[in-house]
Amino acid sequence: MSAAMPAPSDDTVVAVRGLTVKSKQRTILDRINLDFPAKSLTAVIGPSGCGKTTFVRTVNRMVELTPGLRILGSVFYLGQDIYAPGVNPVLVRRRIGMVFQRPTVFPMSIFENAAFGLRLVHEDEAAIDRAVEEALTRAGLWEEVKDDLDRSAFSLSGGQQQRLCIARALAVRPRVLLLDEPTSALDPFATQRVEATLRRLKEEIVLILVTHNVTQAARVSDRVAFLHAGHLIEVGPTADILERPREELTQQFVTGRFA
Amino acid sequence: MGSVSPDGAVSASQPLPPPTPSEGRVVRTTNYVQTAIALVPALVPAAIVVGIAVTLVLSTGFHNFGWGFFGPIFNSNANQFGMLVFIVGSFLTAVPALVLSMGIGLGIAIASTTYLPRWLTQFLDPFVDLLAGIPSVVYGIWAFVVIAPIFGLLINPWAVMHLSFLPGFASNRYSPTTAGTGLPISIFVLTLMALPITTLLIRDALRSIPKDLWESGLALGATRWEVMRRVGLRHSSRGIVSAAFLGFGRAIGETVAVAMVIGSVTKYPTNVYDVTWTMSSFMFQILDAAFGNSLYLSALAELALVLLVITLTVNIVGRRLVSHIYAEEVAGI
Amino acid sequence: MATVLSTPPRRLDPEDDLRRGATARLKWRTGFDRWVGYLLPLLFLIAIVPILDMIFYIAWQAVPTMSWTVVTSQADYQAYDALGVPIITSFYFISLATILSVALGIFGGIATAEFLPEWVAGWIRTSANLLAGMPSVIVGYFGYFAFVLYFGWGLSFIAGVFTLAFFMTPYVFRTADLAFSSIPRHIREAALGSGAKPAQYIVRVGTPIAFPQILTGVFLAMAIGVGETAPIVLTVTTNVLVPTGIFQPATYLTGLIWTGYAQNPGSTPYIIAFQAAFIIILVVVALNIVVRVIAARFRKRLEGLYQ
Repeated sequence: MSAAMPAPSDDTVVAVRGLTVKSKQRTILDRINLDFPAKSLTAVIGPSGCGKTTFVRTVNRMVELTPGLRILGSVFYLGQDIYAPGVNPVLVRRRIGMVFQRPTVFPMSIFENAAFGLRLVHEDEAAIDRAVEEALTRAGLWEEVKDDLDRSAFSLSGGQQQRLCIARALAVRPRVLLLDEPTSALDPFATQRVEATLRRLKEEIVLILVTHNVTQAARVSDRVAFLHAGHLIEVGPTADILERPREELTQQFVTGRFA
Repeated sequence: MGSVSPDGAVSASQPLPPPTPSEGRVVRTTNYVQTAIALVPALVPAAIVVGIAVTLVLSTGFHNFGWGFFGPIFNSNANQFGMLVFIVGSFLTAVPALVLSMGIGLGIAIASTTYLPRWLTQFLDPFVDLLAGIPSVVYGIWAFVVIAPIFGLLINPWAVMHLSFLPGFASNRYSPTTAGTGLPISIFVLTLMALPITTLLIRDALRSIPKDLWESGLALGATRWEVMRRVGLRHSSRGIVSAAFLGFGRAIGETVAVAMVIGSVTKYPTNVYDVTWTMSSFMFQILDAAFGNSLYLSALAELALVLLVITLTVNIVGRRLVSHIYAEEVAGI
Repeated sequence: MATVLSTPPRRLDPEDDLRRGATARLKWRTGFDRWVGYLLPLLFLIAIVPILDMIFYIAWQAVPTMSWTVVTSQADYQAYDALGVPIITSFYFISLATILSVALGIFGGIATAEFLPEWVAGWIRTSANLLAGMPSVIVGYFGYFAFVLYFGWGLSFIAGVFTLAFFMTPYVFRTADLAFSSIPRHIREAALGSGAKPAQYIVRVGTPIAFPQILTGVFLAMAIGVGETAPIVLTVTTNVLVPTGIFQPATYLTGLIWTGYAQNPGSTPYIIAFQAAFIIILVVVALNIVVRVIAARFRKRLEGLYQ
């Protein structure tokens, strides 16, 4: 707990304080302090193994699926500690969604994919129809699939599948969306479409984007956080970090000295 | 010798000889002789299968039993060989056993892959595999001596008392034999014997669910059960159906253990506790009695063919469904 | 750790409230999931209890009556409980059948793994699987019609050996195939690429690597063969004391169980049945243990191979 940290403003949706994750062999994340304000896209960059995937997985309590990890510190969602006893992780994951590296569409129709999260909770077909359309539109996929939503999701291209995964996550109206290298398995065209979607979404919700691609961070993000070997080295507005970093390490990474 | 020109090209001091006529031909990569020699030992299993089929066909003596073969009356003394009785018996035991072993196998597999910690599943899984290693005849003697009395004295009478409103569950005696032989215990034994196959195959199918897919489900705010039910089972459906086919093949082919507890009487069961006979157990027990009677032997050979066709079909379909060739780790399944 | 940050607590939408926002439906879903996690594992008992009961009951019945004399005595096992003769005959049975099945299966398995194009190999493997999946009574019938009748061997030891061997062959075949197929490609390519002929590769490189796996497969096939009843009973009678020749009938341990199980408890055949069952279980368990030991030891030795 860091008393010296400035109190987050009312605007902060997710606040990370003193987050430390340890495995038996090593410390994966070391005392991370980070805020994520509303309507922003923060890119989390760093060399492979720096802990950025582990970091995002702590925000929606997916990290506890990996056995043998100890989690210390706190992650606050709208001022509440998500790791407090009595908090149901299922509820956390509804408010904080996640999109994975590879498109992971379910073996069902496009509609059923998007409706998956809704069906767990709602039964009103009309409401589900509306929410699916809204989610697909927000993900930038509606125009392409609206004619036949009952098609199998596998009939979509890779980029479309990934946007379907985004729509699926958006359907339950989370305030935060975590994306773990969502375009690394996509070709440049598909990447473009997904990035366009992200640029639109950051006007609406909080996006936390893990990426190993610094130029992607430059294209879509408002803020950049640089992680190295489990430490948060630097965080700030995109232009500042990429062009005028304060730390030597950041400068080296951003200019491609090490990957 | 050679020289290097300004643009980097290398040339020999003498012009190269013209290409030999062998260049430009298609290169063959298969060594036909090698393959042919390899086929000889490789065809042994296939040859045995064909040999079995051919032998049985020949042994029927090509008697034309006609469709009467599937007739309802079997009386060897009167030369009536209607095998329907045994076919019915086989299905009456194998189908419920399949349903039960699939249900239990599904539950065990889900528990093993989703709910139990790794160290515990590593300890418990081998027990199910051990079930596969126990010889049929040992199942039989245990079932006959230990379990059948439980059925005969406890379970069957209880069911007669409390469940007789269900069709088939009524009986005018507690049990045809208080020894407890008959359908219920046969189904019990077959369930246990099919369990290793179903559990193993379903477990393999569930284990092959990609981690990303599973976590995507959880990340949407679903519980483990919900992800398994809605996503996991769908993804593994082929493997699960394959388990059903192969489990059924095992159940219907099982011979000795069933022979020891089915009651061995040629009759159509009048209620769920009744004794009867299955194709496999009948064939096993009656061969002695048919000695010398060529008509009888022909009929038995034909019954063997029927069982063979059923088993082969079920096995072929079941294995087509999965891409890996040898699903079971040579555990003798 | 504070559960709430020290900022002015803000007004939360009900769905954002992580502590009080859990609806009844959510609690039900979570509870259901938790209970499934408690109840499903109990199904393991359905597998565990029967096995343990089986083994302990048979041991309980057999052990008090067993002694060294019982196991070795060559007396008439139908009158006294003496297992010497059936044990020896069973030993010959399984040994010969194993040798025969290995001869039949191992070359085919290696050939399938090494020499055949994929589409042919697929069919071959299917046939091996079909043979393995065949009910033992059908293989027994085949043995009866083919060896006992057509070949004219009569109900004999030799008919039983061949029938049992045919039954065991696909297991050896599959193991050999799997063992060679799972040799890492780079080893195979390195050997062939440095000029070895396929036969040389198989003998010099493949066999040492695949040997433990094949050995375990043979033992497992033996474990299956030891427990088989139908192929033997149908081709050999069980009522003979000392076999006088390979074209004569003989006894097998499983046959003793088959004839004795329904007799009066306490009578000689009944006791023998349990003793035979006990011995069979011991052999099967022993074989399984040997298999695991071999697998473990050679996995350590070949650890570096699979990197």
